[in-house]
Amino acid sequence: MTSQIEATSAPHPIGDSVRRVDAREKVVGSAMFADDLQFGAGLLYARIKRSHLPHALIKRIDTSKARALPGVKAVVTGEDYAGHIGLYLQDRFIFCRDRVRYVGDPVAGVAAVSEEIAEQAVELIEVEYEPLPGVFDPEYGASPEAPLLHPDLGQYEVANFIFPEPGTNISNHFRIRKGDVDAAWAQCAAIVERKYRIPHVQHVPIEPHVATARVDENGKVRLWGSSQSPFAQRNLIAKSLGLSQSDVQVIAPYVGGGFGCKAGVSMEALAVAIAMKVKGRPVKLRLTREEEFYTAFVRQGLVAYFKMGCDAQGRLLAMENRFYWDGGAYTEYGVNITRAAGYSSSGPYNVPNVKTDSYCVYTNHPVGGPMRGFGMPEMHAGLEQCIDELALAVHMDPVQFRKINCIKTGDTLVTGMTMHATGLSECLTRAAEAIGWGRKEPPSAPNKRRGKGIALMWKAPAMPPNAGSSAKVALNEDGTVTVSVGGQEIGQGSFTIAAQMAAAALGVPIDWVRVATPLDTNYSPYEWQTVASRLTWSMGNAITAAARDARRQILEMVAKAWNENIEDLDIIDGKVISYKSEEAISLKNIVIYGIPLPNDQGWVGGPVLGRGSFMPTYVTGLDAETGQGPRAVVHYTTGAQAVEVEVDMDTGRVRVLRGVAAFDVGKAINPEMVRAQMEGGFVQGLSTALFESLQLKEGVLQNPSFVDYRIATSTDVPPDIETIIVEVAQDDGPWGARGIGEHAMVPTIPAIANAIYDAIGIRVGAPPYTSEKVYLAMLEAGLVEE
Amino acid sequence: MSINAHPELPEFDYVRPATLMEASRFLAEHAGEARPLLGGTDIFVRMRDGFYHDKYLVDVKHLDSTDELSYDPQRGLKLGAGVNMNRVMASPMVQAHYALLAEACRSVASYQLRTRATIVGNICNASPAGDTIGACLVLGGVLNVHGVGGYRQEPLATFFRGPGKTVLQPGDIVTSIEFPPAPAGAAGVYIKLGRNTWSDLSIVGVTVYGYADAGRASGYRFQAALASVAPTPLLVPALEEHLASHPINAEAFRQAARLAQAACSPIDDVRGSARYRKAMVRTLTEKALQMTWKKLGN
Repeated sequence: MTSQIEATSAPHPIGDSVRRVDAREKVVGSAMFADDLQFGAGLLYARIKRSHLPHALIKRIDTSKARALPGVKAVVTGEDYAGHIGLYLQDRFIFCRDRVRYVGDPVAGVAAVSEEIAEQAVELIEVEYEPLPGVFDPEYGASPEAPLLHPDLGQYEVANFIFPEPGTNISNHFRIRKGDVDAAWAQCAAIVERKYRIPHVQHVPIEPHVATARVDENGKVRLWGSSQSPFAQRNLIAKSLGLSQSDVQVIAPYVGGGFGCKAGVSMEALAVAIAMKVKGRPVKLRLTREEEFYTAFVRQGLVAYFKMGCDAQGRLLAMENRFYWDGGAYTEYGVNITRAAGYSSSGPYNVPNVKTDSYCVYTNHPVGGPMRGFGMPEMHAGLEQCIDELALAVHMDPVQFRKINCIKTGDTLVTGMTMHATGLSECLTRAAEAIGWGRKEPPSAPNKRRGKGIALMWKAPAMPPNAGSSAKVALNEDGTVTVSVGGQEIGQGSFTIAAQMAAAALGVPIDWVRVATPLDTNYSPYEWQTVASRLTWSMGNAITAAARDARRQILEMVAKAWNENIEDLDIIDGKVISYKSEEAISLKNIVIYGIPLPNDQGWVGGPVLGRGSFMPTYVTGLDAETGQGPRAVVHYTTGAQAVEVEVDMDTGRVRVLRGVAAFDVGKAINPEMVRAQMEGGFVQGLSTALFESLQLKEGVLQNPSFVDYRIATSTDVPPDIETIIVEVAQDDGPWGARGIGEHAMVPTIPAIANAIYDAIGIRVGAPPYTSEKVYLAMLEAGLVEE
Repeated sequence: MSINAHPELPEFDYVRPATLMEASRFLAEHAGEARPLLGGTDIFVRMRDGFYHDKYLVDVKHLDSTDELSYDPQRGLKLGAGVNMNRVMASPMVQAHYALLAEACRSVASYQLRTRATIVGNICNASPAGDTIGACLVLGGVLNVHGVGGYRQEPLATFFRGPGKTVLQPGDIVTSIEFPPAPAGAAGVYIKLGRNTWSDLSIVGVTVYGYADAGRASGYRFQAALASVAPTPLLVPALEEHLASHPINAEAFRQAARLAQAACSPIDDVRGSARYRKAMVRTLTEKALQMTWKKLGN
């Protein structure tokens, strides 16, 4: 077990669990969130008229009564905005124009002097619909019999790596054709074929969506919102409204949880569109919790078919996968989830023959969007159960089977890319060790059964090939450092690692570093989006470059002032020192005022401002027919989880007693925060494994609140979650680091499903593995009597 | 088909009468548009969700003896309508003589909610899922009701008429609930099955209460009450009769649990299916009987 990074010693404070830079203000309550911002007496409040039908043509909208209501300042409908909007596929209008496609689709918006009046006005808007048959299953939606939800699919603007099939409901079809699957089946000693259905889930951030927009008389737009993606919002809103990007300013204070649902553009465009009609006045739109459930991005549902086979020695020979993603009414963002699942469709395994078809399908369900893991938790949920079943089919221990087949450094991946250095095998070994693999513990009571399960994962940042980051590092008179970034702090700790990296690269104490807040597209440097677990790696590279740039400026200044060689100088603990002359000078003052030359001969230096940017330039396209290409992604983070569960035979209740998470993060910049991600991801994964699902009936959500959308509480979570940090350095990451935010919840569903199987010998089917589902499955299997 | 994406607490008038009679009269005069207010933990949620449309909420927490929590070995326990659940749970008298009641309270929501929530409120909501109702039923609770005609008593066993429906008439205010002295050595269990371990509404709730009773052939009296499996909280007389007339053993409990299963009439809803609920009534009733039996020192 080698950890390459240990060979080089990282500078302080890299690898230190320094205190979060935002801890104090969040604990004392002084941190500002989007709804805390004050806009004075001129503030207007927006409410949205939403479709109650899953699919219908809009025959008539009458807003006259709403407009006549005292206190109403504007009423907006789809007639006002003809432009499409969307991240990868522009398939959405800001307000529906000709038809509605899901329950909650925005039909009209109102701005009024109070939320109550806005609500009354919404109720006064009359909409006449002609109901249409709906599509509520992605597999059906992909069939020729299904009604067409987007007849204009062929006309939508689309990114060049997304392949819609106009005339169908398939908005992206990603293919992998590697090797010869059909020939491989004959050589297999065992083949497993399974179908899985993964339900929709919600992100349920503590803070619901909120956005305030103001459009000045000169047409310039300002938007304050709870956002993971201020720059993407600036770009997409500008394009949709026919503005220049620089005419749109997005200001994004702290985010009270995002998990993906505050990426891209969703309700923010509504606030801006309404504000356009009341120039000069700020308009605030807040989603209620119910509205959040009905209308925020959901994690797409998935119907997945897996077929996999191995030889008698347990070597994987072939996989054939078909994924039908329930993309919902608009798939502007979801199309890329389909792609990500496609290019990772072998799971973290070395498989010579792979055939995959990953379809993004329009349905009359809520809009699918990014959620922690971006398709990977859904895909791994089935894949990692299949791997277990295949191992057992050839009488192999599932851990041993995974050791043989899991991706190793230098393997050729499913896309043809060569795997970089990875510590997946170490993650697997250590997770198995920690859970006590192979030992069966006695149950806590006679009516209970215990089991252990394990699952692996991999995930690459899913993004356009050239998603960029930038950073500024400015020095202040007192020697402190202001780091400006465009990546958001959504609770994951990005500002803290930003400070750590700047301190380390520059050579100043960590408590000298400040992070400029809030994010503001007029002042913050560009960042594509805070998604894909990409900030530590991508933004980290930009910060490091910016800090090194500032460091170079300082050293050049001092070298000139002291008449020394730059190679003899260093910055340590906020002082420039010379190894040659053993001189030292504090950064204080000189980083702004420069250094006087002897005998009043003038000055050198000046205000120090470092700049840095990073963009991966090495990701290549993939062949549309085969999904093959030299480099599909920047890299993969890999890892393993193991759990021990106990099943109550009386009720079907599954309790997770212990969890182990082992991930290869390349380099843990802040180990405590890495552990927090591993624990938090495990908890969210557990919650989706045992409790969470959006119950959709003919497109209508049956559980739009926390009363009936249950999430795990502290009492549902094992007190003991062991976290194991593996560090095999990433060649293009700062100090070898790669991301961990999403990965931590990817393998949890199958790990728990495999443990349930180990406990009671049955596969329960679709998550969540609620008491009821497990009990009824035990009834069907004859394990308990009716 | 409609959705309520913007639930909001509607406007209402808060009324704080000086006397019970004033309160009863006000409620009677505004029948259908006024409602007595205790902790409000359910009322406000239901108003916000659009199920209640009352113009007036009549606060009765401060009125005549609604704040009382008293115990007398001869007369038993009296809980005023305004006594919150945390206070009930903390009472040494409740813990000593009516531990089942404290256990039922503990299963309700969270500590924060229980500083507002009351047992009488839980009863008057008449939700089939009410977590404390089963305990109140098996403990022989009797409600003191103040109406426009003065005080009367209503036994809890005949109080419920359907989901959200009771025998209360406009003007009626439940001021307290009384329980007779608990038989020596009595023990009980409340098993609540939620979707997750904490703060959920019950899919099924089973209350069992038992004590040695020389007047019955088996030498014991056992009662069971079921939550969330019928239009009202449900007592199971058939179970009581069976365990009064059969020797107490594992088979008798198994059979009694089947009687409970036969007595209930659950529905499918978002929290669980009728099939699962039926199965859980059987397994949890049997379990609760066994646990109670153990607590009785057997």
